This record gives sequence, C-alpha cells and structure tokens, in this order.
Amino acid sequence: MNRLLKLVTAVAFVGMVAAACGGSSTPTSTGTPSASGGELPHGGVLKMAIEADVDKAFDPAKEYSTLSFEPFRCCLLRTLLSTNGQDAAHDGDVIQPDLATDLPQVSADGLTYVFTIQSGIHYAPPFDNVEVTAGDFARAIARESDTSASANGYAFYYSPSGGTGGGIVGFDEAKGTVPSGVKVVDDHTLSITLTAPLGDFPWRMTMAAMAPIPPVGDKVLGWADGHTKDYGRYLVGTGPYMFKGTDALDPNGPPTQDPISGYVPGRSWTLVRNPSWDAATDKNRPAYVDEIDVAIGGTATVLANEVDNGTIDIEFGGVPPAQQLAAYQADPTKTAQVHATPSDGIRYIAMNIAQPPFDDIHVRKAMNYVINKDALRRTRGGPLFGEIAGHFIVNSLTGDINASYDPYASPNGEGDVTKAMAEMKLSKYDANGDGVCDAPECDGVLTITDSADPYPAQNAILVDSAKKIGINLDVRSGDRYTFMYDKCLDPSSHAALCPSVGWFKDYPDALTFGPPTLGSAAIGPGGCCNYSLVGGSPDLLKAAGYTVTDVPTLDPVFDKCTVLPVGQERIQCWADSDKAIMEDAVPVIPWLFDKDVDLTSSRILNYTYDQAAGMMSLDHVALVGGGA
Amino acid sequence: MAQVQSEPDVVAGDNGQLGGPPGGEGIVGRSPRELIIRRFKRDKFAIGGIVFLVFMILVAVFAPLIANIVGHPPNDVKYLYQMTQPNGLPKGPNFALKFYFGADKAGRDLLVRVAYGARTSLIVAFFATGIAVVIGVAVGLVAGFYRGKIDTFLSRTIDVVFSLPILLLSLGLVSACGATKDGCLFGLLKPGLLLVSYVIGLFSWPYIARIVRGQVLSLREKEFVEAARAQGAGNLRIMFRELLPNVAAPIIVYTTLIIPNNILFEAALSFLGVGVPDTTPSWGKMLNDANGIFTVAWWMMLFPGLFLFLTTLAFNLVGDGLRDALDPRTAR
Repeated sequence: MNRLLKLVTAVAFVGMVAAACGGSSTPTSTGTPSASGGELPHGGVLKMAIEADVDKAFDPAKEYSTLSFEPFRCCLLRTLLSTNGQDAAHDGDVIQPDLATDLPQVSADGLTYVFTIQSGIHYAPPFDNVEVTAGDFARAIARESDTSASANGYAFYYSPSGGTGGGIVGFDEAKGTVPSGVKVVDDHTLSITLTAPLGDFPWRMTMAAMAPIPPVGDKVLGWADGHTKDYGRYLVGTGPYMFKGTDALDPNGPPTQDPISGYVPGRSWTLVRNPSWDAATDKNRPAYVDEIDVAIGGTATVLANEVDNGTIDIEFGGVPPAQQLAAYQADPTKTAQVHATPSDGIRYIAMNIAQPPFDDIHVRKAMNYVINKDALRRTRGGPLFGEIAGHFIVNSLTGDINASYDPYASPNGEGDVTKAMAEMKLSKYDANGDGVCDAPECDGVLTITDSADPYPAQNAILVDSAKKIGINLDVRSGDRYTFMYDKCLDPSSHAALCPSVGWFKDYPDALTFGPPTLGSAAIGPGGCCNYSLVGGSPDLLKAAGYTVTDVPTLDPVFDKCTVLPVGQERIQCWADSDKAIMEDAVPVIPWLFDKDVDLTSSRILNYTYDQAAGMMSLDHVALVGGGA
Repeated sequence: MAQVQSEPDVVAGDNGQLGGPPGGEGIVGRSPRELIIRRFKRDKFAIGGIVFLVFMILVAVFAPLIANIVGHPPNDVKYLYQMTQPNGLPKGPNFALKFYFGADKAGRDLLVRVAYGARTSLIVAFFATGIAVVIGVAVGLVAGFYRGKIDTFLSRTIDVVFSLPILLLSLGLVSACGATKDGCLFGLLKPGLLLVSYVIGLFSWPYIARIVRGQVLSLREKEFVEAARAQGAGNLRIMFRELLPNVAAPIIVYTTLIIPNNILFEAALSFLGVGVPDTTPSWGKMLNDANGIFTVAWWMMLFPGLFLFLTTLAFNLVGDGLRDALDPRTAR
C-alpha cells in the first residue's frame, strides 16, 4: 500500500508540474506604439527590471559596465561633455557640450584643453543651493587618481601610464589630490594639460567619473570624502533625475549616515525628478517620464513574461528569450515592440598567443577560417542579433572604411575547411602537412567559457569546427564573473581559448577597441581585457609559466593613432590598425557585430537607442498618454 | 488484537516429512536467502524497478550502438541547420531524420544524448556511492566498535560533514578543480566524471556511517562477539568477520537508497553549470539547456526529466523492496 501511495504521489506531482508548465501567459499588450506627430507627452512612471544589479553600486569612478553608463548619462550625472542620447542616425555618436558652454579650446600643440562651465547649474538636493564650479571637476579628477576609489574602473584613460597614449599631467602622482596638470583658472574655467596629444580626450571627459563632486568644507574630495567604497550610495548629481531620497541626505552629516533610500543594492533603484535640473540648460535630455522604477532580479524568461503582461515596460540590458521574440515577430500588432539596433559591440573568440598551439600565427589564421560563425550566430538568435563579423573594430568607429573587409571570409560565414587546412599546413604543428594538427599541443586545448545560455550550444559548434583541423578543445564552463573572467584574465591559468567574450565601445572612438582589449597594459590579473596576452613582456610571460616569451605587440600601431586629432586621418589610422590586428597579430576570431535587441511594452511611445551608451535611452522615452 | 500474519518457515513438500499426511506432500525448509528472494519477488513494484534499471543499464552500455543506429553521435552538430530554426530554437521529433526525441539548440540528437546521459548518471552514481560506502562503513565500524574517544571524534566529524553547505562546497570544489588541466591536490582531483564522483562521495558517506555505527553499537554486545573474543579473535577480525556481515543488510538497503540521491546531486551540479565537462552529456545539463525554452521546446525537458525521474524512482522502489525483504518484522 505504501509503495502504491508513493507511485500515485509521484504521478500526481508530475501531473501538477505538467499542468503548471502547460500553456503560456496570455498576452495583454496590444497596439502598435508609435511616436506622436508633435510634442511627446511628459509624465508617468517607466517600469523596468534588470536581471542583476550594476557591478559597483553606482560609484562613477568604479562602474565600468554598459548597464551603468546609461543611467549615469541620461539621468544622474551631467559632465562637461556628453552626447544627445540618440542613435547614430540622429547624431547620437557626436560629442556635445553639456555642463560646458561649448567644446573645449585646444592649444596648438594639442596638450592643453580649456573648458568654460555654464553658470547657474545647481546640484540636486540637499546641495541644491550649491552652484557647480570648475573646482568640482578638479575634485572628480582627484578622486579618479585615488587608486582605491577608482579600482576596477577606467582610470587608465586619464593616467599617462595607462597604455592609452597619454594622460593628465601629474595624475599618477596625485593619489587622491588634484593632479598638477589640472588648473582651476576661475569658478567657470578649467584647464587640463596632457602628457601627449590625445585626439579622443574630449570623449574621455564624457565618462561618468568626470562628473562634478559637490564641495564640503575644505575636504579635498568634498562630498566623496569618506566614501571610497560606497560613493554611489550617496551620489548627488546634476542630471534630470536623482535617486529617490537623495534630498534626505544631510550635507553636514558624517560619511556613516544612512545612504540614499531610493537605491537598495541588489533589490531596486528608483529615480525621481531632480528639482534643481533646468531643461533650458540641457538640450541633450528631454526627460519625459516623471519616475523610473527598476526592480532587480529574475531570469530573462520571467522578465519577458512581465513585459508581456504589462508589469514592466522593458527588461533593461537583457536579451529577450527566443520564444518570446518569435511570438512578437509573428504578431503584426507586436512587431513594433521589437527593436534591434547595432550596439557597436563585437563578439569574438580570444586566442592566447603565448599558449601552444595558438603561439603559431598559422594556427590562429586557420581557426579564423574554420569557425562556423553563422552557426554561432544562430545559437544566439539568428540575424536579428547581429551581422557576421570579418574584422575586429566595429564599422561605425572607422567610418565604414572596412565594411567589406574580411580576410578570412567563408561562404555564408559557415567556415572554410579547405582554406583552414591550407593554412594549417604552414604551421609547425602539422608535421606531415596534411592540414590537420598532429602535435600533442592540439589535444586537450584548455577552453574557458561561460556556462549560461547560449554558450553551451556555441561550445558544441566550436568543438566541432576546431576538430576539423585537428584541434581538440577541452571545454570548462562556469559562471561568467566568478569563473570565466577570473580564469581568462589570469595569464597563469594558461587558458588557450576564451570564446565567450565581447567588447563594446566606451565612447564612439576606435581607441576604445584598441588598447583596452589588445594593449600590453591591459593584461591581467588586476587589469582588463587583453585575454590574448598581445604585447606581453618576456618577464610577464615567464612569471606566468609560459615557455613562449616572445609574442607580437600592437602597441606601436595603437600609439600612432592615439595622438591624431579627431578627423579622417585618425579614422583611417584605426581602420589600418584593424587590418594589423587581423593580419599581423591575429589574436582574435571576431564573429558577430552585435545588435542590441529589446522587447518593450505597448506603453512606450518612442523607443530611442542611446548609441553612445549602447542601451535604450531612458531620458528620451515617453509613455503613451503620459503614463495615464 | 490483530494477528500478524507471517510467512511460514516451511512449506509442504512431497516427501511426507515434518508432519504432513501419510502419502501426502512433505515440508521443505528454506534458507534465509531463499526467503529474502521470495519476499522480494512478491513485491511487484520492486521487480518493476529492477526491470527498469536493467533497461537503463543496457541503454547506457549500448549508447554508442544507439548512436550508430540513428547515425548521430552525441556531440554531432551536423544537423544544426535542419534541426533548428533560423532564430536558434530547436525543432522537435523528426522521424525522417531519425531524431526521435527531437534536437537541442545545437542540433544534437536528444535521444542519443539521453542515452549517454544515462552513462553519466549511472557511472557517477555508482562510483560516488562506492566511495561513500567504503568510507562510511569503515568510519561507522570503527566508531561503533571502539566507542569512547574514537567514537566521539568520528561522530563529531560526521556531524560536521552533515552541517556543511554541501551544494555550495561542491560548486566551489568542482569550479576550482575543474578550471585547470591538472586539477587540485597535485592532480588527485582532475576535472571530469571522477572529480564529480569524488565530490559527491565525499559528502554522502556520513549517512552510511551513522547507520553502520548504530548497528555496530548494538551488535557488539551480542554473544557471538563474546564468543569470537573468547576464541582469541582480535578487534579487526571481529569487526570485519563478525560484525560486518551482520550489518550487510542495512548497508545494502541504504546504498540503493543513496544512489538516487547521488544521481540527483550530479544532475543538480550539472544544472548549476558545474559538474561533468561540457562535452559529456548529462541529464542535469540537458534540463538546464531546456530552461527558458521548454514552453516551445517541450522535448528538451520532457525526455531527460522523465528518465531522471524514472531512474531515481526505480532505485527507490528497489531499495524499499530490499528493506522489506530483509527485515522479517515488516508487516505485509
């Protein structure tokens, strides 16, 4: 009897599970959102969800992820220079003055930049009676020079030794004080002197870390003093929005006072209008909605269901599930709620050029030929998610000069085994010249990947592709942040292949694709994101246990382009460096020029893509009927 | 007062012995083993479990043959374009292409992967259980026999292992040791099926140890132990020659009950993204792959889930049957 009861219970349980899983949620959103002919309505609450919180609790000096770039740009922090928050077709990749009255004046030698700051700009409460002055920007630069405050951020863009061609004079020595190259000429004039001409320096001043910090007494770091680790929870900015509860902060209180209530790390953030923001001073941000509510947590499937049933308007920064996309694309009333925009990102496979067999350029070229890029794209969701990539630097950053450049092209991007084998024959690891690797170095090639979807399916395709030229991959998967990045960024792990990586621009200049990914200063651990060890010094490679100690470097190629002023010569230089990457060093296998795909609710009236930040533009979104 | 109906120790035979009518059938004695088998055979559910387990073992053993018959090795992605949609969603059963269970997102044959997954589950389950039994029996025997400080130390060790966050530790161990070619502990814990088996076995021995310890504590006071000691038997001989055979029955029963737990443990580790290597099919990994798309690709969840469910159920039924057959005091 007991046994029978167990069986009946088991069957009943299975039945309940089947019933629970049967059917899908009934979509309730209808209609085709479209922009109104005239002025868009103001008002309403934009409801969003994200799967995981930002990395560093909104500390602008530390945050270095796309997810944080948009809330900083659209809503919380104005900087001297910025962008208009729109897509490339609407000049979203063109630099604009923001808190500065105009673009900076640059000295003839390209070393000194002078910014004039707008008058009458005030911070959000409780600093609403404090006007933004030049000293506040100097304070931000001082904080950026503090290695503890800017840990894991992008201080390398301001440091002369950061490997990006130069930086601010005195930055490395400042260590939390105002660098000697930063001069507060007067309350509304700031002068910055560089160690070398940097054509993209104005872009570096658009980054959130350069946002002004309110003064507090005579403290060097002002309001950020005492908040080395948690400044984001006390953030006071000048954008059209602020965290709810910012006004409850005590400007004279200790650093240990309660943080802003509207941001609960890992749980939620709520942005409300900043009463100090004056639209007349900010032509970049229309700021239609009154409030932005963000809930943190949930899987892509759960959040897609919430978009479907109207609980939220968008899963911010996520990838919609394939079945939801398919359903929306098949429904004429919903196709307008699917948005796919080039994100100026590249998805690629990084090869460790110090680890056999990838220390041989012919093997690297053979891999470029043999990988079935179309199959990889298919597992990601198909053509909606991007174009097959034939080179590394995205076309928008090099003026489409390399749009048809693909040195390892194959029919339909499905891989060319014949050409791969022909290349492999030239390799030292193919002793008998049959086009298939026969050396022991090609067995058990350590491959470190992300275990989340769609990488398991992609791994199967990679294994199959590589096998065709005799390379047998030993795939190890794990969590992206605690496993994959940990191993791929650590040279001593000897990961030969890191296929689950991608790169998105920090700002619309090709420099952001060069030194940060393939420059010698970007080799970890502690640094990011040169997984391939391009330019690794013999000492570094020896210390990490490599027998190969002489690897190609791209530093001279990048240095040549870095000093050029913005213009056609600079663009051409970066286009040429892309060819050097793909033909002289070959450390990567680029396979997808990424597109950002968003599913939105029918409440969103005018989906706008922020080309600079690479996400939906939160300050340009309006809601149907003003959210009524 | 209800009468307990118990199995008669003898049955009528045809030799007229033991009180049978003259010229009629006699009574034949049955050994304890025969009685156990007889009791077990009466349990239809346990027999059903045995039959299913034999079937699964055959599936696991002949998985390469199944792959040959349908023409799809377990990691073959040749049919990616035929068995997935352009948006990456997999297609269901296609008898023309011999994808009887459908395909996964890489276009791999689900039937073949379920068969190979049986190998993974059974290998890990048996090997991990074997480790657990060896360690658990040894610890339980020593603890129960020696008592005193040794028992205290070993019992506290059991308690500590019980209190560990097993899943988190397993995740950490497998992640840490699975990342490099050489593994951990100077190559002792190498990535692969063995690593997963070691980890699972390392955390499941306390169950057996506690059972064995309890049994030994009571058995060591019995007369046969005294008799053995009087005959000059040393401690080791008493433990392994006298006590161990008498605790064999509960060990066997609990072993069959631990096996399904270990199968689920491996499935859980694989579901969470650690566990067996990527190219080794595993039911847990397949369930993870189905996550998020099972509403449109039901076959990706149904088949591995069903086989996982039936295999663990079968082991449970067999274990229950063995327990009832071995314990003469069980009400029937």
